[in-house]
Amino acid sequence: MTAFLLNLATLAAISGILASTLNFIVGYAGIFSVAHAVFFGLGAYGGAQVALLLVPDPFLACFVAALIAGGLSLCLALPALRVRGEYFVAASLGLQMVAATLFAELKPLTGGIGGLVGIPRPEIFGTVVPVLPLALAALALILFLTARLQRGAFGRTLQSIRDADSAAEALGKNVNAAKTLAVAFACAGAGVAGALYALHLSFINVESFTLDQSIQIMAMVIIGGTGTLWGPLVGAIMLLSLPAVLSFIPFIPPTEVGAVQQIIYGLAMTLLMIFRPAGLVGDQTKGRSTS
Amino acid sequence: MLFLQLLLNGLQVGAIYALTAAGFALIFGATKIFHVAHGTAFTIAGYVFLFAWRAGWPGWAGAAAAVLAAMAFGVAMERYVYRPIQRHEGSFFTVFVAAFGVGIVVQNVIGMIAGRGFATVDTPLSFSAEILPDVFVAPMLWISLATAAVLFIALTVFLTRHPAGVGLRALSQNPDLVRTYGLSSNGLSVLAFAIGSALAAPAAIVTVMTTGLNEAIGHQVMLISIAATIVGGIGSLRGAALAGMMLGIAESLALQFVDTQWAEAVSFLVLFGFIIFRPSGIFGVVQTR
Repeated sequence: MTAFLLNLATLAAISGILASTLNFIVGYAGIFSVAHAVFFGLGAYGGAQVALLLVPDPFLACFVAALIAGGLSLCLALPALRVRGEYFVAASLGLQMVAATLFAELKPLTGGIGGLVGIPRPEIFGTVVPVLPLALAALALILFLTARLQRGAFGRTLQSIRDADSAAEALGKNVNAAKTLAVAFACAGAGVAGALYALHLSFINVESFTLDQSIQIMAMVIIGGTGTLWGPLVGAIMLLSLPAVLSFIPFIPPTEVGAVQQIIYGLAMTLLMIFRPAGLVGDQTKGRSTS
Repeated sequence: MLFLQLLLNGLQVGAIYALTAAGFALIFGATKIFHVAHGTAFTIAGYVFLFAWRAGWPGWAGAAAAVLAAMAFGVAMERYVYRPIQRHEGSFFTVFVAAFGVGIVVQNVIGMIAGRGFATVDTPLSFSAEILPDVFVAPMLWISLATAAVLFIALTVFLTRHPAGVGLRALSQNPDLVRTYGLSSNGLSVLAFAIGSALAAPAAIVTVMTTGLNEAIGHQVMLISIAATIVGGIGSLRGAALAGMMLGIAESLALQFVDTQWAEAVSFLVLFGFIIFRPSGIFGVVQTR
């Protein structure tokens, strides 16, 4: 039971990082990416390869993962600078589909459908450590950074771009640089989450980095509340504990738990958008999510 | 000969893509709603036809039921999901998420009822015959091409000649003026959803009778429709249908060089390229960012 709860807590912390970083670009910068799982995957493969080929040092793995995911975030930043709204969602969908194919086909780097197995446990100075404290520390760091950035000049610039980018540009803000930086920060965070995920499970394959995963991360952000600090975390914990809760309900056959879980979060997404578009934690006085 | 075979396969896939994309483009053009649950209408129509067929209904009755089911779904989406959201001025992303949620729910409900995995109906129409050396063609190819052509001509005539069709085009150009002239923009929206969703049904039926469908196919259909609409140029029905046909042929011809797993990625690479280099699409007017 303890092992089960520890596992759940670790996954919740990792999902919390993913949801918080996605919220950073969706909620503050107005960049509606449905390709977050791509950068989660890049980080996971990068971190896993570091642990497999070099040393199972979690800090090095996270650093490399952040570097890869942050660097390749240009793939997402480029369309974000060119287009917005529906076009950008379509571009990120396209990126997600192409990346999932690449993950499944580049067998030397990703192990293909079979994935990478036997990723060693993380070690710090020769002692094996669990991933949970690392994940919690990373989550705390991300939340702290998000809160600082949100209040500081950079966060204000992003929000002004979200609300009126021509006005921001007229005031001398470098819109392109701000957007690129925001995307790089969010994607690097997702990369760190990926490295921790790979070290925690010691096995990864393309299944965890598909469109479904991106949608689930998005659902966490939406259900919790976009543009809030704690909303994404609340959403992540709720969605992750859902399958555990459902498995205790006797009349649902175990084979259908996955489907019932998906139906519940699909319904939650639709109903929230109709009746409470700012999410559970969001500011209800605004009454709508920002566009 | 491989080239010809792939081209013919591509035409069949392209006809399906063109029909769904035209439906999506019609809805998006007239109502400005990014109807991501369009793939769900396709899935529903396909499974209705499948169940009707297995229940022993004649083909035409099953097809009619499938069209009606798709229309009912589209109209219900407009009435119960999109309109309430638009009433409180929800952003496009609110609409996107709500529609995506519906898609997830329907996909899983169908998975629970009909079972997961591919399902198909076998008819004499889907048996291939050798028409040229090493080139195999099933009668379904000609049927799907003819269906796509007839429906597309009918749609064009409707949009240019019939008052309601002209109303739809007016709605896409200037919704406020439509209301000023006393036309019901709500009524026209419902009409756009009914026709657009109905266009997904024949494509779904062709898919059931050839490659088969599974409960998750709606995702793929939706993605292809979006891709074709953007590549063709938003607001252009002709562009969407043409781009759908092109994407189908491109996916098929790409098989000459790469494995089947890459086919879908080809469409999205094309989409990604268009968004970065020519966001207005083939026939689109240049839009401001």
